[in-house]
Amino acid sequence: MALPNQGTVDYPSFKLVIVGDGGTGKTTFVKRHLTGEFEKKYEPTIGVEVHPLDFTTNCGKIRFYCWDTAGQEKFGGLRDGYYIHGQCAIIMFDVTSRLTYKNVPTWHRDLCRVCENIPIVLCGNKVDVKNRQVKAKQVTFHRKKNLQYYEISAKSNYNFEKPFLYLARKLAGDANIHFVEAVALKPPEIVLDLAMQQQHEAELAAAAAQPLPDDDDDLVE
Amino acid sequence: MADKQPVVERHVAEEEGEDSAAAASAAAGEEEDTGAQVAPIVRLEEVAVTTGEEDEDSLLDMKAKLYRFDKDGNQWKERGTGTVKLLKHKENGKVRLVMRQAKTLKICANHLVISTTKMQEHAGSDKSCVWHAADFADGEVKDEMFAIRFGSVENCKKFKDLVDEIAESLAQKEGDESEEGSATAGLLEKLGVSETKPQESSAKEEPTDAGKETETTAVVTPAE
Repeated sequence: MALPNQGTVDYPSFKLVIVGDGGTGKTTFVKRHLTGEFEKKYEPTIGVEVHPLDFTTNCGKIRFYCWDTAGQEKFGGLRDGYYIHGQCAIIMFDVTSRLTYKNVPTWHRDLCRVCENIPIVLCGNKVDVKNRQVKAKQVTFHRKKNLQYYEISAKSNYNFEKPFLYLARKLAGDANIHFVEAVALKPPEIVLDLAMQQQHEAELAAAAAQPLPDDDDDLVE
Repeated sequence: MADKQPVVERHVAEEEGEDSAAAASAAAGEEEDTGAQVAPIVRLEEVAVTTGEEDEDSLLDMKAKLYRFDKDGNQWKERGTGTVKLLKHKENGKVRLVMRQAKTLKICANHLVISTTKMQEHAGSDKSCVWHAADFADGEVKDEMFAIRFGSVENCKKFKDLVDEIAESLAQKEGDESEEGSATAGLLEKLGVSETKPQESSAKEEPTDAGKETETTAVVTPAE
């Protein structure tokens, strides 16, 4: 799927369309996978943003071009145009907001109007939040429409890899696909002169004074 | 959409008899494929998996959370949660730091420990330290400042001490090579440094043991 600003790759790539109400965490989820960061600040997506996401599997590398679409109606833009040639999809809702789940059928209908018979994952995001509004057993839409469902948390990374794994398995028709270690290439040797070193030390001293985000959580797995 | 769906409640009740954990995960739709049958669109062949770490021994292997400093926003941002390793090349002896994200196994840090690598304490947390690196995680060299946070003070100290030790021994080697003649000055300096780290030499002799999963009790006995 060639895009104007992204070259094609020599391994399989798929267009993944991500839809769902505004504020359910689509962009945060994609960013989490892209850079590792967890963005708390909400900035509505305008139109669509396309990000390539690579995964290394036992069958080699694969790429999802993630079409992260605007959830807010007023920023929706082309809508159907974003769905065209979609090969797989994620529908996201927020388990702390009943309305976002109520709107899932609408997103599903719009998506299926353009993309027929593609694998779709329904994701209930923000399951780390204590006061859920939509309990797991209240989520039934996926059974009626034959979607896969995952409870996820972009914040805690709970199940955060599952949607991609499921889609990869379906797209390749191979239930045994799993993620494997990406190749850690040899890093080149960098020699630093004294001036650079001193500059780094000064920058580091300033950075060390800044607090780390989420210092309260612990490293349990 | 009704909040209570009798059909689903019955479904859950049925499974509770067997295994409540399984029932819980089934209720959440996990591991159970409820998706439609769709025709695959690609055919993928199994390939030989290489980690790139085949020629290296692990000196250290611990769970941690990594952050990178965002200069524009003047803030630390998460980079990944997973396993950090110090890997020593079997032939040339070079040591690099490789960290992988849990579950996806993507690389979030990959750079050599060099003579100028220096772990600094982080102001807010004694489970964290910070350093600068020319990092190669994305396949291109990027100047990065990293902070890493461990589950315990002990693990952080173990990591920090080992990196510092490797960097210092590299610095000493470079010093020896560049100024063969005036060895005494370097030696005196080295003595001053090693006084503060009495257990270093013993840690160095058993590098592969330290590579097992994070038994924190072993190395943390500072001789007063």
